[in-house]
Amino acid sequence: MSRTRTGRLTAALLLTAVLALGAVALSACGSGDDTASPSASPSSGPITVTDDSGAEVTLEQAATRIVSMAPANTEIAYAIGAGDKMVAGTSYDDYPEEATSLPKIGDFANPSVEKIASYQPDLVLAAGGIQDKLRRRLEELGVKVYVVDPTAYDGAIATIENVGKLAGADAGAAKVTDEMTAAQMEVQASVGDLEKATTFLEIYNKPLMTAGSGTFIDDMIMIAGGENIGAEAGSGFPNFSTEVLVQKDPTVYIADSGSMSEPGDIEKRAGFSELTAVKDGRVYVIDDNLIARPGPRLAEGLKKLAEMIHPEASADQ
Amino acid sequence: MTRIARTGTWPGVLLAAGVLAACLVLALALGPVSLSIGRLWELVTAGPVQGDLENAIFWQIRMPRVLVASLVGAALAVAGVVLQDLFLNPLTDPYVTGVSSGAALGATIGIVLHLSNLPWTTVLAIVGGLGTLVLVWMAARRRGRIDIFVLLLAGVTISYLASAVVTVLMIRASQDMYAIVYWLMGSFSGRGWPDVEIALFAIPFMIVPLFFTREMDILLQGEKRALELGVEVERTKRLLLVTAGVLTALAVSVSGIIGFVGLVVPHIVRLLVGPGHRSLLPVSLLVGASMMVVADLLSRTVISPNEIPVGVVTTFVGAPLFVYLLRRGRGV
Repeated sequence: MSRTRTGRLTAALLLTAVLALGAVALSACGSGDDTASPSASPSSGPITVTDDSGAEVTLEQAATRIVSMAPANTEIAYAIGAGDKMVAGTSYDDYPEEATSLPKIGDFANPSVEKIASYQPDLVLAAGGIQDKLRRRLEELGVKVYVVDPTAYDGAIATIENVGKLAGADAGAAKVTDEMTAAQMEVQASVGDLEKATTFLEIYNKPLMTAGSGTFIDDMIMIAGGENIGAEAGSGFPNFSTEVLVQKDPTVYIADSGSMSEPGDIEKRAGFSELTAVKDGRVYVIDDNLIARPGPRLAEGLKKLAEMIHPEASADQ
Repeated sequence: MTRIARTGTWPGVLLAAGVLAACLVLALALGPVSLSIGRLWELVTAGPVQGDLENAIFWQIRMPRVLVASLVGAALAVAGVVLQDLFLNPLTDPYVTGVSSGAALGATIGIVLHLSNLPWTTVLAIVGGLGTLVLVWMAARRRGRIDIFVLLLAGVTISYLASAVVTVLMIRASQDMYAIVYWLMGSFSGRGWPDVEIALFAIPFMIVPLFFTREMDILLQGEKRALELGVEVERTKRLLLVTAGVLTALAVSVSGIIGFVGLVVPHIVRLLVGPGHRSLLPVSLLVGASMMVVADLLSRTVISPNEIPVGVVTTFVGAPLFVYLLRRGRGV
């Protein structure tokens, strides 16, 4: 008898679980419909672009109230001349100077959705990765989200052009992207014929992390005439074994430095004294704001990388 | 007592020492650059030499890393045995005393203040760990006695408190979040000789409990019985608690928080050699070191050039082994 009771109890529990799952699924579908309806409404001259996550973003007219959820996005907005449309940024925004006085929506990892909504933005410039889950919540509130998450240097150029279109600042964006393209041409012209120099780029040192394949940093190292050792460790920003680093023995060692990481005394780290880059004095530190933020300053970062990877090329000029 | 006396101590200890020696050789030989036994011997006899990449990998990267891993593993295993038997609670691990959370808090403060990793962040971690031990101690002391029950609860409470402060610091100084998260995850990546020097301080504290094996055996029967049998209960408890606390603080300060070894190694060894501390303590020490060295070896070789956090490996290796031994031990 107790066995049948247990059986019934189990069945009841299973049924409850199934019902709960169904409810969750239904609510997910429901919210999906909500987000679909506003964008379906017809209009005269909408602006449509595809963002870096592959989603189409359509605005009825150029944005006038922009919220940025990443320092790079803030830099883009100001560089293309849409700074006056910015209504809020993140607590990390430090460039350009004007951006520091913007109201803050929180930091990069924990922006407050309520706060973002309270500024009634018609465009939110988000970043990829950890901000993916915020996108849906913002879209449920009827806010348009464009994700800035390029995986190559020319991807950054394309995304700046797109933001320019959305913000009605095409001309300003064109000026910025022309400069970025010019920087690329200049670098390619100076290092194009030189032999690739094996390069390790340190993103973080404890544990050792590098820029892997499919990142715009990897792309910039290649444009600057380097062979990125980190590319073989996988995509994104993988950690990297010190032993393998010593074994691969890069010609050039570049560490990024900024609020997130301080490389410290690179030469004094365990095992580093035998690195060719250390012996030859080819260890460099680069400001991470120039290579880690997919924005207009990548042009400057690219030139710096080229100077570090091929100093002989820039000495010629 | 008679059962313990009958159990041979030396065969088990020697076997465990042999296993550790084999693990050390393996860990020193294998890696992205694998070395033959002959080459290994050459490198050992040659000592650190300038201008040889393999030599640099062996002496400057692999050797200190393997040594730190073995010392941390041994320290956590010994602390685990001591605390489990002191608290008479099989779920105890070195981290329940709150020492590790205190150490984590110390390290987090070091990271947030951007102090250099060695020595300051490490020193702060040790201070945090020992400071927590003192707090827990004061909470549990009543009329000159340490109430083990209160100690356990106070440890858990202070542990939560310290974790809460770490979380607040993480959010306040979010640019340091990566550094803090990676520290908390635990790793031997990038550990060098200065870390070995700190870990070496654990050795005397691992030896101390070996002189109290008889007292620990008797304490298993309860404090009252131990008093009747003439054990100086309070003095022994005090000494063992401090020992376990210092071991945990030192281990955590050089490696971060690595789970499972301190909890599971004592149980595995109990199933193998029984509860008598004359065997249990030294064998746990050696098995703890072996397990950590192997876990670190796997963490740096399986998906090279990436590394898996060592705590993940200790759990993946330890959990199935533990379940197997539990079932075998119960005769299931």
